[in-house]
Order: sequence, then structure tokens, then C-alpha cells
Amino acid sequence: MSLPKISLPSVRLLSSIHHHQQQLLLPSTSPLTGPKRAVSQGEYRRPGQPKVDKFPWQPINFGFSKGFDGVKKHLALLKKEFSDRWVGPQGKPILEHMLEQNQVLWEFRGPESLEQWTVSSDQEIGGQSEVHLKLGKNQNTCLLYGTLSSTPPRDGETRYSGYCTMRSKQPLASFDRKKHYDWSSFNTLHLRVRGDGRPWMINIATETYFSHQKDDIYNYFLYTRGGPYWQDVKIPFSKFFITHRGRIQDDQHPLWLDKVNTIGFTLGDKADGPFQLEIDFVGVCKDYAHTEEFAYEVYKRNPEI
Amino acid sequence: MFCPMVLPAFHHGGVYRVISEGDSFLRTFVSRNVLFPESRRDGSTMKCARCLLQLQCLRLVGQSARSAAQHGALLRSTSSSQPDMLHNTQVLRRFHGSPACAKRRPVPAEFINEDDKKRDKSLVTHDDLFEQVAKEVKTKATFNKVVDVFIKRDIRRRGHVEFIYAALKKMPEFGVERDLVVYNKLLDVFPKEVFVPRNFIQRMFNHYPRQQECGVQLLEQMENYGIMPNMETKVLLVQIFGEKGHPMRKYQRIMYWFPKFKHINPFPVPQQLPEDPVDLARFSLTRIANDLDAKVTVYQLPSTDITESGEQIILPHIVGIQSPSQMQLLAQHSPSRPVFVEGPFPLWLRKTCVYYYVLRADPTPPDEKVEEPFDPERCLAFPLQLDLDLDRDFGDEESFDVEDLDEGPVFAMCMTSQGDQAVLNQWISGLQQNNPILGQVPTLFRLDAGPRELQGPADTESAHQHRTDPGPQREERQPEEDEEPRRSQGAKW
Repeated sequence: MSLPKISLPSVRLLSSIHHHQQQLLLPSTSPLTGPKRAVSQGEYRRPGQPKVDKFPWQPINFGFSKGFDGVKKHLALLKKEFSDRWVGPQGKPILEHMLEQNQVLWEFRGPESLEQWTVSSDQEIGGQSEVHLKLGKNQNTCLLYGTLSSTPPRDGETRYSGYCTMRSKQPLASFDRKKHYDWSSFNTLHLRVRGDGRPWMINIATETYFSHQKDDIYNYFLYTRGGPYWQDVKIPFSKFFITHRGRIQDDQHPLWLDKVNTIGFTLGDKADGPFQLEIDFVGVCKDYAHTEEFAYEVYKRNPEI
Repeated sequence: MFCPMVLPAFHHGGVYRVISEGDSFLRTFVSRNVLFPESRRDGSTMKCARCLLQLQCLRLVGQSARSAAQHGALLRSTSSSQPDMLHNTQVLRRFHGSPACAKRRPVPAEFINEDDKKRDKSLVTHDDLFEQVAKEVKTKATFNKVVDVFIKRDIRRRGHVEFIYAALKKMPEFGVERDLVVYNKLLDVFPKEVFVPRNFIQRMFNHYPRQQECGVQLLEQMENYGIMPNMETKVLLVQIFGEKGHPMRKYQRIMYWFPKFKHINPFPVPQQLPEDPVDLARFSLTRIANDLDAKVTVYQLPSTDITESGEQIILPHIVGIQSPSQMQLLAQHSPSRPVFVEGPFPLWLRKTCVYYYVLRADPTPPDEKVEEPFDPERCLAFPLQLDLDLDRDFGDEESFDVEDLDEGPVFAMCMTSQGDQAVLNQWISGLQQNNPILGQVPTLFRLDAGPRELQGPADTESAHQHRTDPGPQREERQPEEDEEPRRSQGAKW
């Protein structure tokens, strides 16, 4: 039996992250003033706002301005895709693809690396946290900083608030087709971060089939030590548990690594005040010593009936 | 411990499942109470466990009225204490209170202006009860008093759902939001056994949805504050909502996930941080030092002095930390290059933010770096340097293909309540006793507030001050050089 629908979205754990596309205001990027979502991201109704009553074709921009640049860009991507096939899977020689033990996925070596990330905070639902992303002082790291404020917006619906997140953008092939990361030959996530002692949460979103699974995210905690030294964090993928819209689920299963879409970092630790997190790089590695398949039980239903 | 052991397979499947479930529950929960010291290990735990089992057996007796004869045979055949339970049925079945709470319930408190409240018959929310108490000091005792007033007021507990919602909202004001006893007492407000579904239709159709939602919200607030429920909570939930209700499911989820995530923090922060600023500084400095050999030195204890003119001078505490490897690095630092005192950097420990300052230097440029040869006698167990010319395969590459960041060595850290230059000067003079090179090296102060990171070498300083020092060269600006990424010295401290 199921409870009647509770219209109280809880955003304590990372809830469904709805990210804006961002304008690049050099040198820092911040969430846009108005909501702009890609068509592939789906609709988000901010709690407390009435539904927008527009015909489906009205928000589409039928201008030609983005057409010509777009054609050049997409044709270049298409050509690259075809030529990559001759080199090997995913553009790497096959021996390298099979045998490599470490792969760096995101490193922040220039302003264009910030374009791969989207930041968002609870200002989307009417809260007062701020978050900004910029390159570090020596152009080698990124700094995610801002202020957290957990006063909930007064819209009658929301009860908890106070979160900030940074999420990578879905990789796109030519003509804006979705591409996925294939991490099936790795089993550990390796990060080099320097935090301020706050506990963060890492979210990995994979490609799903059913629309109900759209907000399924695999989470795990990232505890920072604080201090002037960099911290190497290694989290095996077997530790990630599945949540849906921020609620941990009963039926757990291991994270499937063959079609990963995005990775993100969230802060929602209910401590109001400024925060910062510096990230040097994010990579995956294959740890031969780690043989665990999954850290939580799958053979028994929890809670037991 | 008595438990009905083996029952023949009933077609009445629910009954059998209840028994076996209770058995496993009992074992796991008793064992769990042993593992977590915060649950009570005195008689009340065992009493809770016993009355839980009694409830289930009572339900067993109540449900299978048809097969009473079979039951009679079974119960007689099981352990001897069963007849005791049957005998005590009427005595133990408390309608409005849990047997575990019975002995501990205090003498009924005085009513707070009961008559005044009753006179006002208009429609008021239950916040009013709390508002009236709010005029006095808000403590746990007054909160308990309000709950007692509500309990005594009406045997049927009319409006208990709104009362519980109001109480949950007011808990942070009274400072009891982390107190499990208060949550159990609040859960006790629910009338017992009224909301337990009695047949499969009731179980199917979300029996008493408002009360179930209220119970779930209470547990959710407990989960929000990270409080682990105990056996008494479970007994109360079983008595109020039965074993298959939503609050029970939520309780089971809490009890499944909380123990898994309780100890995963590799840098744990205790719930109760030390009050004394010096102790707090000591704890946080050892946390960020990343070196077990590091030594904490208290350069100045906090004190208030009163000068002759009657002014109060508050001397802040200065606590510093330095490890032997940092001392070695500082000794190797060339006196021609300046060192920087940077800060304040934030460090969050649960909900408090403390600030620390760092003494560091820029990385040495590649031309000035001296590669000291490895002393082979430093470690006789295995060779530190191998001159083998072996190729490594792809499968053996164990490091990431990323340029190492070199931000320069960090020589010491300190924490103080007042972060101005005079205080930090005191710290540097204190450090100088162990690191005489600080007397010759120019020290620059970079004290800016705001989102802080260690400043890289290619920076112009916005606001910095010099430390008066017999230093031969005092450069106003850092030489702005674009450092090419290069291999770090690999010093692991």
C-alpha cells in the first residue's frame, strides 16, 4: 500500500538536480537569473508557482543565428567521430582502452574546462544560498564557493532548504546527441580535493530506460578534512547507493558503469555560512585490490516483509 | 528467554510470519542494543523486548480464534511461561500507555492554568499551549510539562495529531530536538492499539492515514537530526501502528541505514566540541596537520588584562602546530625568498567555523632546486632508488596522467581568535625559537577575508604588510613568472 502523495519535497540529501545552463561571466560562472533548460532536461515546476500555460512551440527559438555556427561545430564533431573509430574504441587505441588503469576525466586547466560544469543552488526553489564556480588562482584547479542558507522559501510547500551543487554536463556527440561515459574497466573514483571540513555528497547519474527512473542518482559521501593540504579521495563504485529524488531506496543494486551520464557534488549539511571546495582533478582508476561487488544487501528485501 | 519455537505450518500464514519475525526481531534488536551503548542496557530494554514479544503472542491468540484448540495444544506444549502470559493478559494490556513507560511515568504534574485554557472555547491551534509556556524559560522540563498537560486533558487525546505537529515544530526552541526520551514521550501521546489494523482490508487501505503520516513525520524529524531510535520507540510504534504500518517501515529503514553510515567519516568530529578555545584549536590543528608527529604549541593563553588606565585588554589565544618534516623544510628554505603568512582560512567542524593561518612559501623555481641524492643508509630494509631500466606496461601505470600541483611548502599553521598582524607577529616570534631561519627571512602578511585559497606564485598582492625585519632584500611585488607545470618534489608529509 502506498501513502497518498506527499507534496513536500525534501532536499536534505541531494534531490533531483535541475541545472541551469550558464552564461560564462569571466572569470566566474554563476547560476543564471532566469531559468533556461535544455530540451533534453525536461520540465521543472518550481514549487509554489502556477503551471505555465504556453503552447509547446512557443518557447522554441526559430531564428537562424545559432544555425550557421551550429552546423560548423556539429560537422566537425561528426568528422571527429568517424575518424575516432579508426583509432579505436572511444578514440583510444584498443590496447590502451583495455589495459589502462587510470583515466583522468575532468581536470581544470583553463576557462574552457569550466564550461563542462553547471552550478545550481536552492535559489531555484526560492532559497537564499549562493554558489559560484571559478578557476583557481594558478589556473590549475577550480574553486566552488558560496554561502549556504537553510531558511526555507515561504511558498507553503517546501519544508527544507539549503543546498548547493555542481554537476557535470552530459557529454554530447554531434548534433546534440547524448553520449555516455564508459567506465566499465574501472572500479574506483579518485578525486583530489581540498575542502573546508564540510561533508559533501557525490552523485552519479546513469542512463536509464524508463521515465520513472529519471531522477535515480547514485550517491556517496565525500568527507573533507579541511586544511592547507590536498586530499586524495578514493571511493569504489561498489559503495554508491541508489536514491530517487533524494530518498534512499529499499531495492539497492550496484552502479552500472557502462553508461554514466553525469557526476556532481552537493553540499547540504544544514550549517549556514560560507563554504568552499577546490577540486584538482576527477579521475577513475582500477584498483585490483578491491574485490567487493556491492556494499549493501541485494538478496533480501529491506525492510523485510 | 522464552519464545515459541516450532509451529506446524499454518495455512494462516500471517500468524506464522508474525512469530518468526518477532523471533528474529528480538534477537537482532537485543544484539543491536548491545552494540550501541546509547540504548539503555538496564531492565527496561529487556522489559521492552519482553512486552514486544507478549504483544505478538497476544495478537496470535486474538487472531486465530477459529483454531483455538490447536493453539491451546501448542501453547501448552511450549515453554512454561506461556500460561503466565495468558494469565496476565488483562493486566498487561494497557490502552493508553506502554508497559515499559508505566513504571517510569512520573507523578502527574500540576496543571498549568488548566481552567484558564478551558474557559476559552474558541478554535485555537495547539501552538497556544507552547506559547503560554514560552513566557517562562524554555527547557526540557517545561516541554515535558506541556506534553503531560495534553495527555491528562483528554482520555481520548482529541487533536493529538495537531498537537504532535506543533510540538515537533517547537522542539528546537526548547532545545530538545536531539533528545530521544522526548521523542518517545511525544510518541506516547498517540492512543495505543486504536490505529492497528485488524484485518487485511484495513491493512490494504492505509488505515488511519493522517496518524500514520504524523508518525512518519516524527520519525523523519528524528532522522533529520541523526538520532537513532531505540527499543522503546519500536515498542511504541508496534503498539500504536502495528508491525506493518508506514511508521514501522520508516523505523526499519532508519535502523537499516543509520548503522551503515554512522562511522564512515574518516575524519570524525565529536558531537560535543570542546568549549575551551585552546582545546578546540588543538583539536582542529591536529586534524588539519595531516601528520601524527606534529606538535601543538600554545604560545599564549587567553586572558584579560586591566591596564592602569582601567582599559580592558583581551589577549587572544595563540595555538600553533608544526611537524618535524615542516621544520626540516623551513630549515632548507633559502633566506633570500620571503615567506608568507596567509589567512584566515575557514575550517568547519559540524556547525562551527574556526579560522586558521598558514605560514608558507612559494615553490622554488626549477633552476634553484637542488636534488639531494638519496642517502642509501637512510633505510636498510629495502633500496630507495632502483636503477633498473624496465619498461612499464599500460597495466602497470599506477599514477594519473595529471601534472602535479606544486603550491609550495607549508611550514606551520596556527589558530587564534584575533587575526591581526600584531598577534601573528607573536606567533612568528614564538616559531622563531625553534626555527632560527625566521630571523633572516622576510615575512609578508596576506590577510584577506573572503573565499580563500592558498595563493599561487603568479599573483600580485592586494593588501600586504611587511614584518619589520633585518632582511637584506624586501621586495614589494612578487616576481610575476608564469610557472610551467612541473613535477613536484614528491615530499609526502
